Amino acid sequence: MSTRPADSQSDHADASPRIPSDEELAQMSTDDLVRLGNQIDDIEVVSSRERFPVPGTRAEKRAERQVAGWFILALISGILFLVAFIAWPWEYRSPTEEGAWIYALYTPIIGVTFGLSVFAVGMGVIAYSKKLLPEDLTIQQRHDGRSPEIDRRTAAARLVQTGQQSGLSRRKLIYRSMGAAGGVLGLGVLVAAFGGLVKNPWKEGPDSPLLVTDWRSKHGERVYVRKFNGNARDVVLVRANDLEPGAMETVFPFHADEVRDPAVLEEFLRAGTTGTEVVLPEEELVDPEHVAEGVRSSDSPVMLIRLRPNVAVIKRAGQEDFNYGTLFAYSKICSHMGCPTSLYEDQTNRILCPCHQSQFQANEYAKPVFGPATRPLAQLPIAVDDQGYLYARSDFIEPVGPAFWERNS
Amino acid sequence: MSDEKPQPARTPVRRGSKMRRRLSGLLALGVALVAVGGLYTVFTPEPDQAIAADPAIVREGQQIYDNSCITCHGSNLQGVQGRGPSLVGVGEASVYYQVSTGRMPLAAQGAAAERKPPRYDEAQVDALGAFIQANGGGPVLPEERGEALRGEELGRGGELFRLNCASCHNFTGRGGALSQGKFAPNLDPANESQIYAAMLSGPANMPTFADSQLSPEEKRDIIGYIKSVSSNNTGANPGGNGLGGFGPVPEGIVAFFVGLAALIGISLWIGSRQ
Repeated sequence: MSTRPADSQSDHADASPRIPSDEELAQMSTDDLVRLGNQIDDIEVVSSRERFPVPGTRAEKRAERQVAGWFILALISGILFLVAFIAWPWEYRSPTEEGAWIYALYTPIIGVTFGLSVFAVGMGVIAYSKKLLPEDLTIQQRHDGRSPEIDRRTAAARLVQTGQQSGLSRRKLIYRSMGAAGGVLGLGVLVAAFGGLVKNPWKEGPDSPLLVTDWRSKHGERVYVRKFNGNARDVVLVRANDLEPGAMETVFPFHADEVRDPAVLEEFLRAGTTGTEVVLPEEELVDPEHVAEGVRSSDSPVMLIRLRPNVAVIKRAGQEDFNYGTLFAYSKICSHMGCPTSLYEDQTNRILCPCHQSQFQANEYAKPVFGPATRPLAQLPIAVDDQGYLYARSDFIEPVGPAFWERNS
Repeated sequence: MSDEKPQPARTPVRRGSKMRRRLSGLLALGVALVAVGGLYTVFTPEPDQAIAADPAIVREGQQIYDNSCITCHGSNLQGVQGRGPSLVGVGEASVYYQVSTGRMPLAAQGAAAERKPPRYDEAQVDALGAFIQANGGGPVLPEERGEALRGEELGRGGELFRLNCASCHNFTGRGGALSQGKFAPNLDPANESQIYAAMLSGPANMPTFADSQLSPEEKRDIIGYIKSVSSNNTGANPGGNGLGGFGPVPEGIVAFFVGLAALIGISLWIGSRQ
């Protein structure tokens, strides 16, 4: 195409087609009409060759069968898909159960049959165009660049005239009220899209969610240290001697006032001192759903760490009595970006955050020793009651997790 | 009443009673001893730790210890500064984990001991464990081995695994990196007892999970979960190759490179002319 631009340019100029009358059009055959259309659109058919000039040859039959083969394959796999979708055992079987292998094939089977069906339809269409449609070479000249000057001028003039005739520039009232309506409507769309994102995080003053966690005692009730045993509704409390030296446990707050009857709580606490794991009955809880959510709360997970004996400890000024013996409780939320930093190495006493490799020294008030974090993990002040149960003496004394504008520590 | 009893009849009774008293005294003593012994066996709690095994086995264990461990752990299990830690209190569980996975005897000091073919067979590992247990004490493994240690509640095991183990070992137990060249190992090659022993003893930098923290049932459920998602388990990967179980990153890479290459190839072929 690009080898003969001058030619095609001159062709275009010379072959500007004569427009036939309506009668002439009615007389023209399909071929003539196509040729005329090509001329108007500057399309040139360089060559066009039937693939099978003699109909009904064996080669043509074979090509036909090949194309039909794809569609038949699509049909069969479509049927297989339907059958498998309806009849294949799809209920979950755990890997150790009978029939787990058959179940494991459910997804691959319906995926493969459905995919094959779609694929074969596409292949059939492509095969048809490649094997049976005439082989032709057609060139359409491309006219790029901007429109001729005359078109541009006239179109612009038309727009200007429409504007003048509307008289909007004269009718200020309509002009302004329409503009105001459009502006307000646009603003409304923006508010609807982004308004939900605008919040005041300091609405609750010193109790604002960024400043406090679930460890805060709201009405003076005791906040016990609770562990997760795999069932979020089971309340299991942690005692100081549950952890061996070198142990780490992720714990959550449990407020004493979440039990309806203080006497039941007393009995529960007494039962737990026998050494066996005791679970508080669900019906004794004020709100089991709230208790279940306690182990999913994003700012309250705490790493309870019992250091090995003879580990040298350095405490942070003002937090000297936050630990109980070798038991230390640090927020699990990284002070860099808020990831859970729970990779505790009990020989090096380091806590590693998997997101950006910040490391905190557990025996030195969890101060950062490596990586991007700059502040220590918040430490929870813990104590032990007369039955050996751990509880939080107060909330964290600083916000947990990453920095924010208003933070001053 | 006794006054009415005739005097002459007393003498033979008395003589007989002397004999009888002696006999009955002996008998009473015997009965009391048997009763005390019986009560003792009934009421004595089963000891938590396995009683020191057959002295012959302990001796065999000591022989192995003297050959392979003493250089770094010392002649009294007290450890050697700069070479190896004290083994007092580590217990049979720790010995089983370290020796049966081939980590001990250590090939070289390094960031982390790596799994390798074990030097000692099961019986020798048990003997060594009995020796350490007899001299240092510490946590012991349950009697059961193998599949008997797999719990039934895989859902609970999964929850506990994700909370306690997944941060280092990845959510399907593929392992992961720690600080300064240390790493948490892949759990696929570990057998049930090795996983149990690791939880009990907290080898290397792994925290310890005593029975008061994770009950034996919870440990078994965790093992059941690990075994159900391990890559040796064909049923654990519905939908084909698990791509290492690392989640969206390798899956995305495969989808991007393989899928994109296939799409480009097909487009080229569709547009080509003979």
